[in-house]
Amino acid sequence: MMGTSILIVEDDERIRTAVRLVLEEEGYHVDETESGEAALDVFAPSPSDVVLIDIMLPGIDGFEVCRRIRRLSDVPIIMVTARDDSHDIVAGLEAGADDYLSKPFDPKVLSARIRALLRRARPSEAAHSHLVVDQLELVADEGTVRVAGQEVHLTHTEFRLLVEMASSPNKVFSREDLLAAVWDYDYLGDGRLVDVHVRRLRTKIEADPANPRYVMTVRGMGYKLQT
Amino acid sequence: MAAVDQPEDGQDVPADHHADESRPVPLGLRARISLSFAVGGLLVSVVVAGATLVLTRRQLIDSRESAAAAVAVSNATRLSNQLTHDASIEDLPAIADSLTKIEGFQRLIRLGDTWLPAPELGQEDLPPLLLQQLSDRVAGQQRASLSGQPHLVVGIPLAAFDADYFAVVDLADVDDTLGNLQIVLFGASIFATIIAAVFGAWVSQRTLRPLRRVRSAAEAIAGGRLDTRLEPQSDPDLDRLADSFNEMARALEERILRDARFASDVSHELRSPLTTLKASVGVLEARREELSDRSQTALTLLSDDLDRFTRLVVDLLEISGYDAGAAALDLSEVQVSQFLTATTRGTGPVPIHMPGHAGDLVITADKRRLARLISNLLENANRYGDGATSIIVDEDGAGIRIAVEDSGPGIPEEERAAIFERFSRGSSGGRRGGGDSGTGLGLSLVIEDVRLHGGRVWVEDRPDGKPGARFVVELPTAAESQL
Repeated sequence: MMGTSILIVEDDERIRTAVRLVLEEEGYHVDETESGEAALDVFAPSPSDVVLIDIMLPGIDGFEVCRRIRRLSDVPIIMVTARDDSHDIVAGLEAGADDYLSKPFDPKVLSARIRALLRRARPSEAAHSHLVVDQLELVADEGTVRVAGQEVHLTHTEFRLLVEMASSPNKVFSREDLLAAVWDYDYLGDGRLVDVHVRRLRTKIEADPANPRYVMTVRGMGYKLQT
Repeated sequence: MAAVDQPEDGQDVPADHHADESRPVPLGLRARISLSFAVGGLLVSVVVAGATLVLTRRQLIDSRESAAAAVAVSNATRLSNQLTHDASIEDLPAIADSLTKIEGFQRLIRLGDTWLPAPELGQEDLPPLLLQQLSDRVAGQQRASLSGQPHLVVGIPLAAFDADYFAVVDLADVDDTLGNLQIVLFGASIFATIIAAVFGAWVSQRTLRPLRRVRSAAEAIAGGRLDTRLEPQSDPDLDRLADSFNEMARALEERILRDARFASDVSHELRSPLTTLKASVGVLEARREELSDRSQTALTLLSDDLDRFTRLVVDLLEISGYDAGAAALDLSEVQVSQFLTATTRGTGPVPIHMPGHAGDLVITADKRRLARLISNLLENANRYGDGATSIIVDEDGAGIRIAVEDSGPGIPEEERAAIFERFSRGSSGGRRGGGDSGTGLGLSLVIEDVRLHGGRVWVEDRPDGKPGARFVVELPTAAESQL
């Protein structure tokens, strides 16, 4: 865990300090910033390994910070919301966040989330570490995905989602299966995480995201990678 | 509180019932208006009928009398002209036959001491008063009852002779006419009364139609649709009522929303300091071993109450979401047995009984709310019922029932509705379970969550007769019907 750096973007100094203490206790190196602009200034020259962004920020808001960091990097991002508002959560995920936490969160849960996002992509079955479907080529060991020979940039979580489904092509994975495998959530995890990540994945690998060729929705059951 | 309806065993119903029976039921506004119209109709028709009868009677009798008098005068004149001084009673019938005859008209003639009687009448039938008057040689008329029938007797003295002419007119047909008229008027009065009652009913219905609209609007507001308003009315009186009603509804809505917003704002404001507190306590927990025993005890207290306080704030936020009408279902397919296994993981293992055919039962529900609902019931069982003993799932075509049973003292019948109220802890509830970590909002959130799913929840005795409570959540299988 040593050497892993986390960037906290939070305008409330007390929360920032307390969360820094928690994370330093876990052995992380922590950078704090109080605004989106400052966060981008810190992140651009030396990207952190995980970013924790509060949605409500003075100046540019958390969604925008998330989008701008996504343009620079595939780093895991956790959104922190002060509301259980469904729109905020989905908007955060669509802006590129990998997971979210609602205030007040349990510090143990925060640590667990960070650990889950930092896990290395490891397909359940190594046999399919190299998979070619139509125009899509996935090399799990290299961590690369190519569509029609062109390399596609996936975030850490998107890549793991694809690798998980590629481990058993044509098998239907329920949302709960994917939550457990990719996010390390139990059955009660939020299925919207899966839905939004599948949507984001499709925009990157599908020629027509509205009519997917590879990642198919199986109504009432879940998703599958179709060969 | 439809959702807390207890199974209908009718224990406390009869008391109310009797109270209702002994109390006289007041007439409704509509019935009273109809009745007033009917009484009004009856009064008017009785007055009109009475006046008609009196006037008609007078008119009929007057005309009858004047006609009779005219005929009598003319006959008496003709008799006087034809009579000679030496005429005897024997000559009279011939003369009398030549006089004008009309129906129901009889005549008697006195000549000296002798009488020419009518076929059915003799001089003894004539009223003595009239005879007396005639003996003074003054003409007169008098109504009299002859052989039980009303008659008019006109007496005219023949001035040139010692003779009188009497005309007796039968008035029975006048009475018959009046009798018929009476029957007709009586019928008309009844008819008018009925028409008035029907008209009254119609008028009251028309008049009360705006009131019915007010009623439905009030019911809609009571049902939670706070933005319900009345449309402007065409009638100025009703329009004022609509205005006042709308003003009241607006004030009510504003107030309720303000209260809900206040609770929500307060809870939001508490989120930030709670985040700081939880993170800080987390740091202390990580270094618990470095603390003295006393500090460790203090940290435990701090940590436990912080958790409780956090839950209270989170529950309050949820409740205020319901109060503001902002709660919405986030539906997904929920695999019941997997779901229950995951939900009970946090509270310790509880045996789950699924019917054989429901092994892979899937329902459409809001997973997060359903999980909170079940864990609230499990926590409630932990706190007041010595822990849940089993979860029993039961399913039929209409819906799914999830029952959480405990082995505590059970809940007395009279407290079963109240325990679902906010911050309510039944008389038997508050005293047990030492370190009470409940927020007092758990069961009221249960009821809101169940209701949002279009289901209901109730508490009953355990069906196996053992002590303990059984909370049953019933959800329609197709929960999307609510959205």
